[in-house]
Amino acid sequence: MNSNQEIVSLKNVVKNYGSGQVAIKALQDIDLKIYKGDFSVMMGPSGCGKSTLLNIIGGLDRVTSGSVIFNGKDFNLLTNKELSLIRRNEIGFVFQNYNLLPVLTAYENAEYVLMLQNIPISQRKEKVMNLFKEMDLEGLENRLPRELSGGQQQRVAIARAVVSNPLLVLADEITANVDSKTAQSLLTLMEKLNKTNNTTFLFSTHDPIVKNFARKVILLKDGLIDKEEQASKNI
Amino acid sequence: MSAKLLLLIIKISWLSLWRNKRRTFISLFSIIIGTGIPIFFVCIAWGFYAGLIDDVARLMSGHITYEHKDYRNSPSNDLWVGDTIKINNTLTNNDNILFTKQIVNLQGVAHTAKGSVGISLMGIEPKKEIAISFLPENIIEGKYLSKVDERLVVVGEKLAKNLNIAIGKKFVFTTNDIKGELTEELFRVKGIFKTGSKEIDGHLIQSNIAIARKVAGLSNDEISQLGIIVKNPDEHEVLIDELQKSLAKNNGIFLSWQKIMPDVATTIRMDRTAITFFMIMLVVIVLFTMFSTILMSTLERKREFASLLAIGTQQIELKVQIFFETIFFGLIGCPLGALVGVGVAKWTEGYDMLNVVGGKSEDMSVGGFGMDTVITPLFSAPLIMQICFFFFLAVQLLSFFPIHLISKISITDELRSA
Ligand SMILES: Nc1ncnc2c1ncn2[C@@H]1O[C@H](COP(=O)(O)OP(=O)(O)OP(=O)(O)O)[C@@H](O)[C@H]1O
Ligand SMILES: [Mg+2]
Repeated sequence: MNSNQEIVSLKNVVKNYGSGQVAIKALQDIDLKIYKGDFSVMMGPSGCGKSTLLNIIGGLDRVTSGSVIFNGKDFNLLTNKELSLIRRNEIGFVFQNYNLLPVLTAYENAEYVLMLQNIPISQRKEKVMNLFKEMDLEGLENRLPRELSGGQQQRVAIARAVVSNPLLVLADEITANVDSKTAQSLLTLMEKLNKTNNTTFLFSTHDPIVKNFARKVILLKDGLIDKEEQASKNI
Repeated sequence: MSAKLLLLIIKISWLSLWRNKRRTFISLFSIIIGTGIPIFFVCIAWGFYAGLIDDVARLMSGHITYEHKDYRNSPSNDLWVGDTIKINNTLTNNDNILFTKQIVNLQGVAHTAKGSVGISLMGIEPKKEIAISFLPENIIEGKYLSKVDERLVVVGEKLAKNLNIAIGKKFVFTTNDIKGELTEELFRVKGIFKTGSKEIDGHLIQSNIAIARKVAGLSNDEISQLGIIVKNPDEHEVLIDELQKSLAKNNGIFLSWQKIMPDVATTIRMDRTAITFFMIMLVVIVLFTMFSTILMSTLERKREFASLLAIGTQQIELKVQIFFETIFFGLIGCPLGALVGVGVAKWTEGYDMLNVVGGKSEDMSVGGFGMDTVITPLFSAPLIMQICFFFFLAVQLLSFFPIHLISKISITDELRSA
């Protein structure tokens, strides 16, 4: 399913926290490419640098050295504000704790990103409603996050991440707070979105369920890519 | 930022305000206290001053006084102003002016068998005085003057005691006429008044203006002072300028009550400064508690802000959100505070302060004049709005620090600390 369109290209990425003797080498020398339509998972022991790498790809954090090219743009050359606009327009994020805005309804949370992008109301409504239907969220539009189960909240969070058709969706430990059945259904849903809309997903996880869905598994160890393998469950 | 997005942000601000209802109510309460108490005090205090100024102006020589330009420095009997019938007629036709009163003042000495006391004789028109001044109401024995009374006077209670005279009793008044000649006149007491002011009750007597003129040697057209009672005592500066230009003759000058009674003016000014200072202290304390709640509510939501920033919300958009939260606080709290302040002031109207502070009304005096201790609040809309607006601005300033914190948020740190 993945074309050869390169979305992300990392070269010699190093990320240190602190400096000098006490510097923590979170990422040592990472080369990685992500292609349009990928459905990839990063795995590895706790502290190996998965979240750090995800944050760097998402433009939330800066590299110590090396380069990140996102859709042809070199992150090192962009200001924080420009990075923020790329996150707004081209990247979707899903978090472990859902992080929905508690004062907005499910519908409004999903619509929020479209508002940021200044999409006209008719299109906003169409996009959100279609997505909610597709994601089995119909009927929950007017609920506040606290009136939803964890799995439902995470579905809304996924809807928020994909509603604007971003180039890349980054998902950090998104199944950590839900049971395995819910995890299964979340992944099924995302796989469906991947297939129907060709949305690119990059996960970081400890969860074997996620791994089962992945078409590519990236194994990290001590801040280095240990192995990149095409998953068994290939389509 | 599009208008739609701004609306959404404002909506988020509004909804965020009610997330922690208890804290929001505490903040609102602080704002209500912070605006309400100063407004209450100012309404009461300014009401007292306005009442005092009006009383004194009506008792003495008006909000504006026309007199000889040197009279202020040494109020001697030979400093008078002329042509006053014409001036008076023009003044009565002025819409800003309620009343005028013609006064002849004579400094002199009163003698009885008991002794002699330096006094001030105030020659007035009884009918006008009854309409204007509160002195006629304060006759405690005998009666107030009427136009036909020739050598009858009303005297202060203390003076009557000091001279040992009662109603119907006589005393001799010695003074200089305008040529400097010593003259004497025999007066009989018609009434005794008590104003509560030691100065006035101990040294003032009032007679008909005609007899005072005769003693002084003044013509019908000549007086010591022309008192002007205006409709709006707060805005008399322009009027004074106008009158000075159009009406003042030779040595005459129009002066405000502040110039005529500098003691009263100074005391009121000092009192107002003290109250203002006290209020600012209070406001600072209230703002401090506000500040901590606003700061707390921001710090508490750091992770939420971080996740919004992560998905592409601009810092400015979050800053606007926080700013509007305090705007809402101000918009709800300040008018409510004003309402409470005005309401409580209104509720205390007519209450005698002596019931609270104790003591005698004689002891309450400003610049030598007795003060009315009954609460008569003054509701000045501009002043109330000014206090409201000041507090509103102060609350808005509080949001600057939390807003500043937004630019310090590290998205990755906050998301990790989940
Ligand atoms: N802000 C920071 N300051 C110092 N060290 C940090 C910081 N953030 C991450 N680290 C360190 O960098 C390394 C990589 O952290 P990271 O969060 O990327 O790991 P991870 O693979 O996501 O782990 P987990 O599976 O537990 O989420 C760890 O050793 C961590 O302690
Ligand atoms: Mg992690």
